[in-house]
Amino acid sequence: MILANATNFWARESGSGGLFLMVFLTLAICAALIFGLLQMPSRLRRPVVATFTFVSGLFYVLLWIWPQAQDRKPTDLPANFTESVSFWLSDALPKIANVSNILTAFLLGLGVFSLMRVHLTRLAKKQRDWSFSIVLLVSMISITIFGYWDWAQRQGMTPLQLEEATKIENWTTARLGQSLLFDGLLQAMDAAMFSLIAFYILSAAYRAFRIRSIEATILLASAFLVMFSLLGLADLFWSNMINAAGGSDPASFINNFRLSEIAGFIQKTFQVPGIRAIQFGIGIGALAMGLRLWLSLEKGGVS
Amino acid sequence: MAQVQNEKTLGEKLLSIPRGVLFFILVLATAIPLRCKVTIPNNPAENSANLYRILMSIPEGSTVLVQSDWTNSTRGESRGQFDALLRILMRRNIKFAVLSVGDPQAPQVAKDVVDAINRERAEKGERQYRRWEDWLSLGLFPNAEGTGNGIALNMSNTFATKEESDASGMKRKVMLSPVFQGVESVADIAAYIIVTGTKSSQIAIERLNNKVTMLALVTGVMGPETLTYYASGQLKGMSAGLKGVYDLETMMESGLNVTGSPNQVPAVPGEYPGFPGQTNLAKGTQYILTLHSAIFLLIAAVVIGNIGVILSRKKGQS
Repeated sequence: MILANATNFWARESGSGGLFLMVFLTLAICAALIFGLLQMPSRLRRPVVATFTFVSGLFYVLLWIWPQAQDRKPTDLPANFTESVSFWLSDALPKIANVSNILTAFLLGLGVFSLMRVHLTRLAKKQRDWSFSIVLLVSMISITIFGYWDWAQRQGMTPLQLEEATKIENWTTARLGQSLLFDGLLQAMDAAMFSLIAFYILSAAYRAFRIRSIEATILLASAFLVMFSLLGLADLFWSNMINAAGGSDPASFINNFRLSEIAGFIQKTFQVPGIRAIQFGIGIGALAMGLRLWLSLEKGGVS
Repeated sequence: MAQVQNEKTLGEKLLSIPRGVLFFILVLATAIPLRCKVTIPNNPAENSANLYRILMSIPEGSTVLVQSDWTNSTRGESRGQFDALLRILMRRNIKFAVLSVGDPQAPQVAKDVVDAINRERAEKGERQYRRWEDWLSLGLFPNAEGTGNGIALNMSNTFATKEESDASGMKRKVMLSPVFQGVESVADIAAYIIVTGTKSSQIAIERLNNKVTMLALVTGVMGPETLTYYASGQLKGMSAGLKGVYDLETMMESGLNVTGSPNQVPAVPGEYPGFPGQTNLAKGTQYILTLHSAIFLLIAAVVIGNIGVILSRKKGQS
């Protein structure tokens, strides 16, 4: 590799004028592209979308298969074509990761927009259960206000001031409101919703888990053994029995029948390979689906 | 005419326990033990012991990345894991940066817990962990796959846009913080630790496992799936579920493989002391009895249901 001070397009300093110029140009080009796409006849849209999809996917494919530079320093310059492409790809990756983060964040905005539209409409038309829409909208707006208010108050604080601000006696109205809504209500309700699963599990265990076949019996026995191995008291009781039967000698064969050993055998010999096989299957499926999407063989979604 | 009433057989009675009764028993079985903080004998799992071994082997002053993707929906397990992790990191003066790739609530939840552990340290007269100097909150990265790839190939550029207030209150790039001093790539990070209740750990492992030592603290539900990555060596240590929390807490209390400690895991080499006299037995210890009663209840429900079916069949045959 050659040492140099020069950097490529993607390595422009964050916050620099050059980068902002590039961001502005990119935005302008994207806006023009979207406008052009909207004006385009429907039959022409598909090849354009397919091309963009292919180029976007190609980046990650290249990133995966292209040789990567080892121990690259920030001042290194590429010595040949292979290194040029490698450097370009690795410099582009964080920017593309940022773009994908921003695009994904738009989904949150889209979700908020969609919720607002649905519930404001329901409220305006006084449709069924419109009172719940009021609760949702008031909650959403108030948590947004208190959240940003609290955040704004913390800006510019030194770590020492932040430390002081977190003490309960120093809480401001914004902090109090944010804590009440976020920690006191939202988080508590989140936990409560999740805990409801316990009731369904118990009900299902009582009504549905039946030993109707050999396979079901083996499954049930394995599940019981693994569950018992999680319980310190059961493990202690079982270990005492094993010790009484000669397990105090570490070389004794009976030590293989300790709960932790049995559970470990079940997990390592059956559970892990089983899950790995399922994951391989899912991976192959995802690869096939990814290829179909990348090559735009999926016909739906573009109109 | 006298009406003949068919009395229910034992099998039918066992099969017709009202749902409300079952739920009431569940509430009692889970709520009452919460009030009892007892130390139950424990045999730490090998994966938990390896997690503790690595955490205790990280040199003081190093930096670790903590991917915190849990929220309060899994706080029964994840909160205990996060508390134990932070206590170990802070007691060993290990700097850390927290990022989230899953839930938008996760960064705030993580910050709240760091504040709570800091308050606990302040009450005991211990040094508090300061943002910028000792730890960083990198915030939310909504695209887990892209972020994972970015961290793997060019970590400093991936975090280039993130800022925090420094000691003077001025916003500065996080890579200039003392937390990232001497860190240029993910290979310079002592460990990448994931605390999650979802599959976000798998996305990170698939992209980072050959670049940095990876550890995971996952919920019981995610335990079996994550165990495949531990078995393959891609994860060097992991804690799964409430048992994993209790494993960590008991090892923090009395050490691992230390003479006189009940925590002996021969498969894990070396002796690792605990932190006697400090707050070690917390959430895991508080909830472990509840785990016992809940699992016993679950087993009892399955057994009762099946006995009921068997008795009813016998009655039908006769």
